[in-house]
Amino acid sequence: MSTSLILLTHADWLSILPEVSLAAAGCLILLLEAFLPSLRRWFATLALAGVAASLYFLMAAPPGATFDGRFETSPLTWLMGLFLGGSAAVAILVAKPYLERTRDERGEFYALLLWGHLGVSLMIRGLDLLIVFIGLETLSLSFYVLAAYFRGIEASSEAGLKYFLTGAFASAFTLYGIVLLFGASGSTRIAGLAQEGLAGRPAVILGVLLLLVGFGFKMSLAPFHAWAPDVYQGMPTPAVLYLSIAPKGASVLVLFRVLAATFQPGLPDRFHAAVAALAVLSMTLGNVVALAQRDAKRLLAYSGIAHMGYVTIALAVFGREALAAAIVYFFAYLVSNAGAFAAVSALYRDETKPHPVAMLAGEGRRARFASAVFALCLFSLAGIPATAGFIGKFFIFKAALERGMYALAIIGVLNSLVSIGYYLKVVYILYMRDPIEPEAPPPLAFADWLALSICAAGIFAFGVFPASLWRLARSAAATLPLPGP
Amino acid sequence: MKTLLAEHLLTVLVFLPTAGAILLLLLPRSAAGVAKVGALTVATLECVLSLPLWWHFDTALRGFQFREAAPWIQPLGISYLLGIDGISLVLILLTTILTPVSLLFSLTHVEKEVRGFSIAFLILETGVIGTLVALDLALFYVFWEVMLVPMYFIIGIWGGNRRIYAAMKFFLFTMAGSLLMFLAILYVAIKHHAATGVWSFALEDLYRLTFTGTTAVVLFAAFALAFAIKVPVFPLHTWLPDAHTEAPTAGSIILAGILLKLGVYGYLRFALPLFPGTALRYAPWLGVLGVIGVVYGALVAFAQHDMKRLVAYSSVSHLGLVVIGVGAFTTISLQGSILQMVNHGLSTGALFLLVGVLYERRHTREISAYGGVAGIVPVTTALFLVATLSSIGLPGLNGFVGEFLILLGTWTSPHRWWSVAAATGVILSAIYMLTLVQRVFWNPVTHEENRRLTDIRWSELVAASVLVVLMVWIGVRPNDVLDRLRVSVDALQQAVANKQLVEAQVSNPPEIAKGAKGEAP
Repeated sequence: MSTSLILLTHADWLSILPEVSLAAAGCLILLLEAFLPSLRRWFATLALAGVAASLYFLMAAPPGATFDGRFETSPLTWLMGLFLGGSAAVAILVAKPYLERTRDERGEFYALLLWGHLGVSLMIRGLDLLIVFIGLETLSLSFYVLAAYFRGIEASSEAGLKYFLTGAFASAFTLYGIVLLFGASGSTRIAGLAQEGLAGRPAVILGVLLLLVGFGFKMSLAPFHAWAPDVYQGMPTPAVLYLSIAPKGASVLVLFRVLAATFQPGLPDRFHAAVAALAVLSMTLGNVVALAQRDAKRLLAYSGIAHMGYVTIALAVFGREALAAAIVYFFAYLVSNAGAFAAVSALYRDETKPHPVAMLAGEGRRARFASAVFALCLFSLAGIPATAGFIGKFFIFKAALERGMYALAIIGVLNSLVSIGYYLKVVYILYMRDPIEPEAPPPLAFADWLALSICAAGIFAFGVFPASLWRLARSAAATLPLPGP
Repeated sequence: MKTLLAEHLLTVLVFLPTAGAILLLLLPRSAAGVAKVGALTVATLECVLSLPLWWHFDTALRGFQFREAAPWIQPLGISYLLGIDGISLVLILLTTILTPVSLLFSLTHVEKEVRGFSIAFLILETGVIGTLVALDLALFYVFWEVMLVPMYFIIGIWGGNRRIYAAMKFFLFTMAGSLLMFLAILYVAIKHHAATGVWSFALEDLYRLTFTGTTAVVLFAAFALAFAIKVPVFPLHTWLPDAHTEAPTAGSIILAGILLKLGVYGYLRFALPLFPGTALRYAPWLGVLGVIGVVYGALVAFAQHDMKRLVAYSSVSHLGLVVIGVGAFTTISLQGSILQMVNHGLSTGALFLLVGVLYERRHTREISAYGGVAGIVPVTTALFLVATLSSIGLPGLNGFVGEFLILLGTWTSPHRWWSVAAATGVILSAIYMLTLVQRVFWNPVTHEENRRLTDIRWSELVAASVLVVLMVWIGVRPNDVLDRLRVSVDALQQAVANKQLVEAQVSNPPEIAKGAKGEAP
């Protein structure tokens, strides 16, 4: 066993190529930044190429577990990898014009984004809690730095420090949970938790709960959400775009993996009640507090907290259908939330100032395309039919009702109603108020246009023809040992 | 080509407006005139294409006609199922007629963001027609909700002073009802899967399910609430006066003329046949709410100073009458209710249109700002008078037939006294409408600026005349419409009666017998 870690087989290499290509692309960009800064305008393309290469290698890698059963290549990692790659690609597209606007385009941004992306990829593919943890830390360290990217702006430094302090705290929770699980099962492998008689041990319950807290923090699930609004506000918008989507999806997958291994027939009642309570709290708190937000990024932060509540319903339902529903939900969330942040990035001009929603007044008549996609994304986040967001909610609520969890489903739809209040408020400001900014916004950059178009197309594609996504999610969910058909 | 069109006529009707909207989207923003005319052309073409439905509708055939079926979200058995019966037929035609009428009116009256206005109307038409032809619950729900978005923009961008409040209230009220209905739809489909092992959201599959006891009551309540808010049934009506008053004239025409009817339509198509026992057990409550709506709406209408608000409250009153007819559930009262929906669409559409004509010239809707304008705008006055007489049910015009059938049908039902109460509503409507006519058009001229009012333009005249012609036509030949309703209403009653028998059998086993039987009529 010890030798296999050193002597890598051909299959091991093939399976890790996606991550290698991300690391390499990041390093290359950083080196070019140091030695050939004149190539700066190609960095975004290079980063996109790195993401594309990693997706290609992920698809080409033979399915199965490598590194002595610690690293997974499966339909599940491929589908989730596509989700992560999509978020990274949109983030890079949005970053290019954003950084040019702020006159602060440096290679570090793309390198850190790619390395953070590398960390998230490790999280979804690791079958060993240590690999997951290394992924988590790679992500966190990259994004601590990205949060403070604008050194000169107070809000950005504040965001970096806040994220670092709270994030380190949450990492400690995660690590402590891993240690407890290691102590109980004698292995850091997730599969090791599946031993007979382990599920009832206090150390295991506590360990899993600590993991729930640690990953709940990354998901910005209430009550572990307090960092999100402040960090989102100060962090460069394209980085927030990625942070608000990909790590959340990966965290949910890790939790599904751990819970599926630990609680073989299904969640114990008390655990189920705890997860359901988190879902209700997160939905309700996120939606109600979002009603009072005046800043676009804070509003989206609270909207994200609420959305993680909906996803947590799937975790409470637990089962193959529920995981598939969560995957569909994340794809819907990807196109809607990425589009919303892309629009925020395109619509605000001055990054040194906060982003009050009121500043967007009347932009619907000036920045037409960005506003229209923003409105579409908000309708999708609100779950209006014919958009992706509706399909996501459809599958989550269906899974809940099928398991007889009527209360969760009813609280969920009532929350959707509350959320319409603040999503529509933004639409109203965009379209039904007169402009207060004297100048019309600058013309939309091509990369922004492309990112917005991709998101809009995704919202309609998933919203109107969700069947193939659902099929893919179903077969991907079959990878985990979850109960269900 | 011709057969392709004939086989997919409903699909064409649903998506032609959207296709038109996409074409308009490609136009440059400055081409406002083209956008207006383009939208009107599409809506007129839609109207022409909907006429074959009327000619080729088989009045003897039970069940749905012009069917289309295609798989949509296969793993869940959600399919693209379309079809119409007499009830949807008349409402589809009402829609395809009122949409070009309101666009024709807007030709000269909308200056702001013309392209967006036209696109919103066309998308709205897709939503309405889709709602009326969908025979799959998931498909129905998608269209049902899609309608909200363009209406929100129509009220919020092109509306009056308090438009934002009105638009938000409209959206939230409607959404509140529909979200619970969404869960109920999911639940019904899940039960179908549990019972048969097959996923399906098709209406006719779900009709076969039987629900009893508390489950049936909760599910029925979820459906009924969504539809009651849309109608709106008293006391859920408070969004209506705001939305109607603040919406631009064309928006009010569609809102009052069509959207409200979808509540009743949804009740007849979904809530009633899915849960007949529960629906009939609670029908007396529905009837009582209808009676309150009739009297309350009429009294409040009488107290209004704003013409548009008055017409809006008159809608609450008239829709109350329709609700009474549905609650009484006799063949005649049902036919009357459906006919009355069409009548109300025509008369209220015309009233909103003509109020709009006055408003565009005088920029106020205060009743007291007018007076004596009959001599100044004689054509407008004449048209308004016809619409008023239709609205208050003068024999020879359409309103009379509908109201008479409802009153007659209700009289033969066990709830005879509803007829009495409903009849007072008819009298009250005569009082407030004739008072309105007197104060606006007769009486002496008190405001000098009214002397300079110009009479109706040709485009407004054409729009209003279409409605007036239809009022007379239905008033003289109501059987043209009633013939198409007869079999559908009969089939509906038959289905409900059959299913009630099944429900009674299912709920006979002792453990659930108590809840389901009760005081079923």
